[in-house]
Amino acid sequence: MLELVLSTLGGGLLCYGLGRYNRTLTLQRWRFVLNAPERQAIDSLRQRMQLDSALARQAFETADRAREADRHPDALTVLRVALSILEDAGADRLTRLRAMGVYSRMVQAIKPLPSPSAKPFRTTELRASATAAGFAHRLLVGAEERFRLWLLFLGLGVRIVLRGGRRSAAAAARVPGRARPWEAFADGMDDFDALDSSHLTAFEALVASLSAVDRGDRLRIWEQIAGDLR
Amino acid sequence: MTNLEALVAHATKLALLALLAGIVWRGRARLCWSFALYVVAMLLGNSLATLWPSRFLNPSFWVLKQGVYDVLKMGIALELAWRALSAFPGAARTARRVILALLSASTLALALLAHPSSYMNLWDWQPRVTTAALWLLTGTALLVVWYQLPVHEWQRAIMLGLAPYLVVFVALLGLLHRWGWTSREPIAVAAQATFLCLAVFWTWAAWRGPATPGPVVAGTRGA
Repeated sequence: MLELVLSTLGGGLLCYGLGRYNRTLTLQRWRFVLNAPERQAIDSLRQRMQLDSALARQAFETADRAREADRHPDALTVLRVALSILEDAGADRLTRLRAMGVYSRMVQAIKPLPSPSAKPFRTTELRASATAAGFAHRLLVGAEERFRLWLLFLGLGVRIVLRGGRRSAAAAARVPGRARPWEAFADGMDDFDALDSSHLTAFEALVASLSAVDRGDRLRIWEQIAGDLR
Repeated sequence: MTNLEALVAHATKLALLALLAGIVWRGRARLCWSFALYVVAMLLGNSLATLWPSRFLNPSFWVLKQGVYDVLKMGIALELAWRALSAFPGAARTARRVILALLSASTLALALLAHPSSYMNLWDWQPRVTTAALWLLTGTALLVVWYQLPVHEWQRAIMLGLAPYLVVFVALLGLLHRWGWTSREPIAVAAQATFLCLAVFWTWAAWRGPATPGPVVAGTRGA
C-alpha cells in the first residue's frame, strides 16, 4: 500500500511538473541568460521606471491641483488615471520579479544584496514587511535564498502599494474633500519609487551574476544545450 | 498463455518494432542509450516468451527478465539525470544529493525485506524496486523543472510515458497480492495492455518530427 501511495505521488508530481514544462520558453530563457545584454538591460529598465514614475506623479499632481480648486469630479477622474498607471507598472514589476526568480536558479552564484530595511518606506504595512524581511534575511545563509527573499518582499511590497492605492482612491471618491486619502496615495507613490529603486538594485545584482559567467563558458554551455537538443 | 495474452503480446511486439525503427530512423538513441537498450530487452523478452513459451514462459525467466528491465529502468533515470544536469554544475551538485538520498532509501527499503526475493513473493520486492525507479525519474523531472533545464522532447516523452505505466504496474502487483494467483491472467493481460498503450505512445513520440516553437508566455518580458 505504501509503495502504491509513493508511486502515485511520484508519478503525479512528474506528470504535473513535466506536463507544464515549456521547452521553447526554457530555451529562450537560457539564450537570455547566456547572452545577457547587461548594461543595456539595466538602462532600459531604469528609463522605464523613471517614465512610469513621472507619468504617475504628473497625473497625481494634476488631480491634487483639481482637488484644491474644488473640481472634485475632475480630481477623482485623474486620480484614477494615476492609479491605473501604478497598476500597469505594478503588473510589469510582478512579471519581472517572477522571471528574476526563474533566472536566479539558472546562475551559479548571485551577487549578495544588503538586508531589506524599513527606512525608505512610509506606509506602516510596508515598513513592517521590510522589518520582517530584514530579520528573515539575517536568518538565511545562502546568497540565492536571500536574493529570493528580496524578490518575495518586493512582490509583496508592490501588492501592498497597489492595494493601498485602490483603498485611497475609493476613500477619496466617498469623501472628496478629505485630505487623508490623498496623503496616503502620495505616500504609496513614494513607496512605489522606493520599491522600484530596490527592484533595480536586485536586477543589477542578477545581471552582474549572469555576466560573471565567463564568455567562453557561456558559449560552451549554449553549444552543449543546443547540440543536445538539435 | 491464453489467446488474449498472446494477442496483446504480439501487438506489443509490433509496437516495439515500430518504436525501435523510430528510435533508429530519427536518431533518438543518442539522446538516451539506456532507453534503446530497454526497448531491445523488452522486445527480446517478449519474443522469447511468445515464440518459445515451453522454454521461456516460466517463473525463473520472468524473474531474470524483470531484473534486467529494472536495472535498465534505473539506468534510464540516471542517464536522463546525467544528460540534463551535466552542463550545469550548480544543479548537478543538488542532483547528486537527491539521487544519493533516493538510492539510499531504496536500498534500505529492499534490505528490510524479511525473505529473499522470488517469483512467489514478487509483490513484496517488485513494487519497491519499481517505486525506486519511478522516484529517480521524478527527482530528475523536478530538478529539470526547478532549474529550468532544457531537455529534449524525446527525453520528456520517455519520462512522461514511463511514470504512469510504473504507477499502474505497482497497482496491478497490489491487486495480484490481494486477489492471489487465481487472478494472474486478467492482471497479466491488463499489465500487457498498459504496456502496449505505452509502446504506442513512445512510437508516436519517436516518429514525431521536431515540435513547432510555442508562443512566448509571461515571465520573459522585460527581463
